[in-house]
Amino acid sequence: MTTAILQVEKLCKSFGGVHAVRDLTFHVAPGEILGLIGPNGSGKSTTVNALAGVFPPTSGEILLAGGHIQTLPEYERVAMGLSRTFQTASIFPEFTVREQLRLGCNVTLKSHPLSSVFGIGRHPGEDEAVESRINDILELTGLAEVAEDKVGTITAAQQRFLMIATTLASEPKIVLLDEPAAGLVSHERKTLSNLIRAIRDTGVSVLVIEHHMALIMEVCDRIVVLNFGSKIAEGTPEEIRNDKAVIDAYLGEAV
Amino acid sequence: MRWNGKTLLWALALVGFILLPQLITVKYYLHLSILALCWVIAAQGQNLIQGYTGYVSIVQAGFMGIGAYSTALMGLHYDLPVWLTILLAPCVTAVFAVLTGYPSLRVKGHYFAVVTLAFNLVIFIVLMNWHDLTQGEAGITGIPKPGGKDSWLNWRDRGTYYYFVLSIAILMTGLAALIVRSRIGQTLIAIRQNEDLVGAIGIAAWKYKLFAFVTSAMYAGLAGAIYAHYQSFINPEIFGVAQSLDAILAVIIGGSGTIAGPVIGAFFVVFLPEYLRFADSFRLILYGLVLVLATIFMPRGIVGVAGDLWAKVKGKPS
Ligand SMILES: Nc1ncnc2c1ncn2[C@@H]1O[C@H](COP(=O)(O)OP(=O)(O)OP(=O)(O)O)[C@@H](O)[C@H]1O
Ligand SMILES: [Mg+2]
Repeated sequence: MTTAILQVEKLCKSFGGVHAVRDLTFHVAPGEILGLIGPNGSGKSTTVNALAGVFPPTSGEILLAGGHIQTLPEYERVAMGLSRTFQTASIFPEFTVREQLRLGCNVTLKSHPLSSVFGIGRHPGEDEAVESRINDILELTGLAEVAEDKVGTITAAQQRFLMIATTLASEPKIVLLDEPAAGLVSHERKTLSNLIRAIRDTGVSVLVIEHHMALIMEVCDRIVVLNFGSKIAEGTPEEIRNDKAVIDAYLGEAV
Repeated sequence: MRWNGKTLLWALALVGFILLPQLITVKYYLHLSILALCWVIAAQGQNLIQGYTGYVSIVQAGFMGIGAYSTALMGLHYDLPVWLTILLAPCVTAVFAVLTGYPSLRVKGHYFAVVTLAFNLVIFIVLMNWHDLTQGEAGITGIPKPGGKDSWLNWRDRGTYYYFVLSIAILMTGLAALIVRSRIGQTLIAIRQNEDLVGAIGIAAWKYKLFAFVTSAMYAGLAGAIYAHYQSFINPEIFGVAQSLDAILAVIIGGSGTIAGPVIGAFFVVFLPEYLRFADSFRLILYGLVLVLATIFMPRGIVGVAGDLWAKVKGKPS
């Protein structure tokens, strides 16, 4: 077996008495799109936050491309190739779309931040490389027309796509998308699932949390299901669709 | 640099500042202008942490005090040349800023404001009570002017000192502009907008916050040192919390998060109380009222209002 991009071992996170995540074990393989689903409050966002390093896990291990990261601060995990979006809109409203993406590229730069104050000691070609990568990301995420617009003035749907675009700026190995389809209408969800596949096709693994079952079933290679913080099922979309425990806890009879 | 309206305004302001001593007839106003220029330096620093980073620090005057006492005491006890102690003063201030900033900036939110406020109170109490070092309320006198005895410039002349402070204020304003336009400045502005996202895109926000705070403290230390050598006398009185609030107000009134704002705001907080002297004992109340009204009706400061007016004149929506 090739090393998983992301390996999660017996992850636990409690807030006071609330066990938000219990003994969660799963992995994301290279080039895989993994879905993480479950009812409201089942611990999906808590899992993402623990993986990203917003808070330390209560216990358990997290390995990124084979290396332990559970004790590293958030920003070092990003530098190592793990980046994430937030469930609620999280943007820099005063920046232009391009400026927000440029800031997202900072983590990949070799020249010291101070070098940009006096314009000395910069790595040649670095700025050009960044601009060209920003253009690629704008193209991929369909934001090229609004590149020079203020982030606060673009549509809510464009902001959701910008959040994904921003995760790509740091040249990640894996992106964690927390409900990327929230607030999107049907044709935008279609664009989103194409984008998620396109991201995977550039060699980036994807962990996606969603309540839109059609999108999840269509785009994911495998799905992990949470209920009350514990994994209750794992498998292909087909297997999950027919899983008795999942239907009882989450999907209901309709799906 | 593009030669647009903004550059023209800066050039005009520069000419104005250079000609100011010739235009001023009342000597006292030249004195106030020198004080205001010291405050420009302190306010530019305050703006970096408060205006750009979005963290209100309530210790700018305290840091000016550290700078002022550092330069005075180092000169007094170690017989160092004035130019050297002026340069060392911001470094001493930086040490104190690291010690206060490191624990309080690792976390988000209002904790920082409270810690800085408490630190300003501590500075004031120490300056008042550590008699052996600071001579308490009586203060330190006979702080030498720069240049020594055989200087070719007459440093006792206010005009000379005015140009000295002006040069440093221009330098420090230019440096602030460079910082703000750099990647560091962009990160500070990003922290002000959304600190969680700054972390999520892989930036250690606390390092940048600490950089902004220590730099702002160094600005204050420098301002305090220059002030000390200008007045030749310092005591704790002007390094208290009330003066730190003046620094905050200078930033708000002038235009928070703009380079011109602290320049305008500093002159405002130095000159306004003087113009309110007619009101005698109501002066401070009137001062407070003006500031409150200004904050309510011009939340983006004088620079913001001017920008809106300019946009209207040019017929563009702002
Ligand atoms: N910072 C926190 N402090 C205390 N409790 C929390 C915190 N974050 C989450 N919780 C609790 O942990 C549990 C899991 O929450 P989480 O946000 O991970 O759920 P979720 O699966 O993302 O739900 P949703 O689908 O509604 O987004 C909930 O009971 C929630 O109240
Ligand atoms: Mg959630």
